[in-house]
Amino acid sequence: MAMELFKNTKILVCVGSGGVGKTTMAAALAVIEAKAGKRVLVLTIDPAKRLAQTLGIEGTHDVTKVPGQNFKGTLYASVIDHKRTFDDFVLRASQHSEAVQKIFNNSLYQQLSTNLSGSQEFTSLEKLYSCYDSGDYDLIILDTPPTKHAIDFLNAPQKLSFLFSEGVAKWFRDPEGKKLGLISHLIQSGTKQVLKVLETLTGSQFIRELGDFFINIEKWQEKLLQRTVDVQRMLIAPTTKFVLVTSFDQAKLKEAEYFIREISKGGYHLDTVILNRIFPSWLDQGSEQNKNKSSDNMDLNNFYSKMKAYYSQRDVYYRQFQAKIEKEARVLRIPDLVNDISDLSGLEELSLLIEERQSKT
Amino acid sequence: MAPHNALRNAYISHVRHTLRSMKQQIHFVTGKGGVGKSVVAAALALKFSRSGKKVLLVELGDQSFYEDFFTLSKVGFSPIQLRPNLALALWSGESCLREYARYLIKIESLTRLFFDNAVMRAFISVAPGLSELAILGKITSGLRNHGPPLPYDCIVIDTFATGHFKALLEAPKGMSQAVQFGPMGEQSRQIDRCIRDKQASHYHIVTLPEELPIKEAAELQADIKAEFNIDAELILNKILTVPVSGQVVKEIALDKKDNLNEFAIYLQYQIQRQIEMKETAQKITTDFKCIPLIFETDPWKLIEEMAGKI
Ligand SMILES: Nc1ncnc2c1ncn2[C@@H]1O[C@H](COP(=O)(O)OP(=O)(O)OP(=O)(O)O)[C@@H](O)[C@H]1O
Ligand SMILES: Nc1ncnc2c1ncn2[C@@H]1O[C@H](COP(=O)(O)OP(=O)(O)OP(=O)(O)O)[C@@H](O)[C@H]1O
Ligand SMILES: [Mg+2]
Ligand SMILES: [Mg+2]
Repeated sequence: MAMELFKNTKILVCVGSGGVGKTTMAAALAVIEAKAGKRVLVLTIDPAKRLAQTLGIEGTHDVTKVPGQNFKGTLYASVIDHKRTFDDFVLRASQHSEAVQKIFNNSLYQQLSTNLSGSQEFTSLEKLYSCYDSGDYDLIILDTPPTKHAIDFLNAPQKLSFLFSEGVAKWFRDPEGKKLGLISHLIQSGTKQVLKVLETLTGSQFIRELGDFFINIEKWQEKLLQRTVDVQRMLIAPTTKFVLVTSFDQAKLKEAEYFIREISKGGYHLDTVILNRIFPSWLDQGSEQNKNKSSDNMDLNNFYSKMKAYYSQRDVYYRQFQAKIEKEARVLRIPDLVNDISDLSGLEELSLLIEERQSKT
Repeated sequence: MAPHNALRNAYISHVRHTLRSMKQQIHFVTGKGGVGKSVVAAALALKFSRSGKKVLLVELGDQSFYEDFFTLSKVGFSPIQLRPNLALALWSGESCLREYARYLIKIESLTRLFFDNAVMRAFISVAPGLSELAILGKITSGLRNHGPPLPYDCIVIDTFATGHFKALLEAPKGMSQAVQFGPMGEQSRQIDRCIRDKQASHYHIVTLPEELPIKEAAELQADIKAEFNIDAELILNKILTVPVSGQVVKEIALDKKDNLNEFAIYLQYQIQRQIEMKETAQKITTDFKCIPLIFETDPWKLIEEMAGKI
């Protein structure tokens, strides 16, 4: 059974706020297509230890063929190394010139390339682009870094590429406007005031570090920008689809609605929304119907009713949500599974569940 | 004024003075995405406010969670009153920096010129560490007596998830090393001192009884211990409290014909996992608390019940 989601799909991006199950879903979706005969690569970010072991990528950043698989196609996996990807990217853009060492030593660069806002999103896309460009895979599934809001992933690279745009760089490279003619110098005086404020707030040393940073990247700024254009083109291609993974509560569903509006505004293709772990698996299976003996433990019966009532109450939100977004995207509800889903058979179980749910919609 | 009244007023002002001179308490709440940080932060804040403290609950970023959660009209930079003694505010890097700039520069038109400038705004949002520093600067402004007054006994912050939270804590030190001179270097050092101050700054790491969140919590706990020499409190959230004995659950889990068979298998699994996770937590720190999974969909009832259980 071919899934609609994978028709004419070369790239699948799993987005969602922190901890909702992006990595797990990315792996399970990859299993579906490997079973269907494709060469699939799943690019993960910081997978749980046991999942990493299962995928054969613990302690390595190389693309690895997942061990113990018996699929019609082949499943490959990799963990993205942010620092290395960022450095590689800079090295390539600078064509390995000497200036690159200066950049590596710049204290702002050091902060930028590690843990700060936007850099992981940037490197994830950079890695995706280079794997996509290699043409080695039929399908690449990208897991994304934990963000506060799903939409942050899409906004981050643009924010960062802004740093490389000429407008900003010019400011800091030449704050005095020395290279400009008299008239543009006068226009610049507003800019000067603004910079003066920044200097009051941060100090002249900070401004100098910034200037230094921008002078160093001047030569390859164009290449940096070109790359962000290419990445953007890849993301809005009709063969690139997005899957939103989200948990289930009122605030999260509201956020999902917002995300769905924003993502289509940006020209991206959202295909499926996965509501993950939304109720326990025992509730899903409607287990009591096919059993003949009713439990005689009153406390347990009461507890069961209490939990069931709680989840049914929450289900109301779900129905409202689905009615609202049906036109925009497919919605899949995945229960909270009891069995370990970090081994290969667990992933297969989850992938079967996804296929089954999707054929229902 | 009657003499006893004067005496009473003097006494009250004395009490006020001592209260004010007591250090403002800062509580950082963090943890992996989705573990319950926001709900736990609100419950902590409510609990403190009930003990008579003036509490400010703060969320970080530019979108409010509580606005949707409590169905409030508008949550922004200026605090709004939620309950007696409990106020709520939303602080972003930009809004904190803006206030700081206004305080420092004092010329409103110049501040506006700066923040209305598109290049500057975009720059602020990406400049490494700047937003983080501005936010921590605001949080510690009361302690440092620097900036507009922050008249609260206690500030509870629903902070970022683990990864970004680490970056937040590292920002002052990183910045003071990168920029040693000038106002930013000086501010960074002061802020850094505040977040290391055991008497003032408290850290709460929320986690679920699950492998990944616990692992992240353990790493963060160790980092805070190593860097700040502070013991962060660990909070195990959403613990399923089963009202029947393990033996009963086991029997029903074995009885395939029982209509609650699958439910019992589920419970058995949860109980087992929770035991393991509590053992793991015990190894991380002896200072850990548990919060039950509360079957309540009404937001205020959920927070109130939780406040009673922390
Ligand atoms: N449907 C499910 N049933 C049971 N457990 C699940 C399910 N989906 C995910 N999990 C578990 O939830 C945990 C978090 O999942 P995962 O690591 O995939 O989330 P994530 O969104 O990638 O998190 P992060 O944002 O931190 O990267 C894992 O332990 C995973 O095994
Ligand atoms: N002890 C509990 N009992 C019942 N429900 C809870 C409990 N703790 C949290 N929740 C629910 O779990 C969901 C997630 O909680 P919350 O939004 O506070 O997590 P968070 O860590 O702040 O998430 P994010 O990382 O997305 O900001 C909410 O729907 C909340 O109501
Ligand atoms: Mg993940
Ligand atoms: Mg939150």
